[in-house]
Amino acid sequence: MSIYGEYREVLEKVAADFVARIESDAKEVIKNTGLKPYEHLSSRIKNEKSMEVKCREHGYPIEPHSALKLIHDSIGVRVVCLFIDDIWDNIERIRHMTGVRVIREKDYIHEAKANGYRSYHMIVEVDSGVTDIDGNKPGKYFVEVQLRTIAMDTWAALEHEMRYKQDIRNPELIAEELRRCAGDLASCDVSMQTLRDLIRGKE
Amino acid sequence: MRILLAEDEEDLADVIQAMLQANDFIVDLAENGEEALKLAKENAYDGIVTDIMMPIMDGVTAVKELRKTGDMTPVLMLTAKTEVEDRITGLDAGADDYLTKPFSMGELLARVRALTRRGRDYAPRVIKVYNVTLNLEKEELSCMNSISLAAKEIKLMEFFMNNTEKEISTDDLLNKFWKNDENTDPEAVWMYISFLRNKLKSVGAKATIVGERGGSYMMTGEQ
Repeated sequence: MSIYGEYREVLEKVAADFVARIESDAKEVIKNTGLKPYEHLSSRIKNEKSMEVKCREHGYPIEPHSALKLIHDSIGVRVVCLFIDDIWDNIERIRHMTGVRVIREKDYIHEAKANGYRSYHMIVEVDSGVTDIDGNKPGKYFVEVQLRTIAMDTWAALEHEMRYKQDIRNPELIAEELRRCAGDLASCDVSMQTLRDLIRGKE
Repeated sequence: MRILLAEDEEDLADVIQAMLQANDFIVDLAENGEEALKLAKENAYDGIVTDIMMPIMDGVTAVKELRKTGDMTPVLMLTAKTEVEDRITGLDAGADDYLTKPFSMGELLARVRALTRRGRDYAPRVIKVYNVTLNLEKEELSCMNSISLAAKEIKLMEFFMNNTEKEISTDDLLNKFWKNDENTDPEAVWMYISFLRNKLKSVGAKATIVGERGGSYMMTGEQ
């Protein structure tokens, strides 16, 4: 039996609906400015094994209610942008969506993690036509949105690979160099944003 | 290269000034320690040449005060032959070198050259102003997070952090940091100021570089 019970397909529908809303907002932006507000967009339903592990870590019962209501990242959406300022614009648009309430935000761009990780995280609660496990109508579902630049995304991909790889020969050295790379990439992101502003006559 | 000369004996001051100017140094004159301190707080110097015995404020006190503010500009002290104690207190106060009067102009010039050349070696490898830290070894700017800086950005940031609250003109920056470049466009200065500003902002610094395109710039902030 899946930890999501009969809600697995519902989660996929809620995720698809939320992605569709971001896409439709983006179409509006493209129509008005001719510029794409993000590079690409992806979504996933948290792997059932990982969800079980997470529930156990928090001491929650292994059941659909925990996965849907107590843990907030059963649905994950990632918005990957070309430039840093695009991230702030996307955050603003999500904050203003109707039927979407921001529950928590964490700015790992200004407060990067010690290992160099950068991203903007938002937990939002979205309304859905499908009644939720508590019987709410409209149903309320949690979505974790991660917003980052392509550079931050590349970095996170490599860090992820390192974290799940066993027996790396010199993990401390690699971690330190990875942290340095995060600083290089962040510097490059800021330079690229500055150049774009100079080109557009904003500075 | 800009030198601050603090010397109360008018004739000697004139001779030194003329000699340094003839060797392409820009020289600002102070008649006593207090005036020297005031000028050093307002302007960015590559080196300071100061007499010890001066009215109002002596050279040793001036250097001590200067170092207290975190100013690490290299200092050459001019001492009289009999003042052995002064030479010791002068070096202990933070002077980098001394020259005993009477001296030859050639030697003074060579020492000023050496002083300004090795200025960087004396500088600490980690600079901290306001709530920002620049690590010259790691080439990293940090506050709430750390980011790397490119070679020219580091030199500029180091200069601004060593000369906070001082107005630096676009021309000064061009002469100092773009001297060996083929392209000495004032636009380049503006571009790098923009890079530095945004990098300060991105680490969450309570400091910035103020100033308009093509004008003078000054690093300022709050603790």
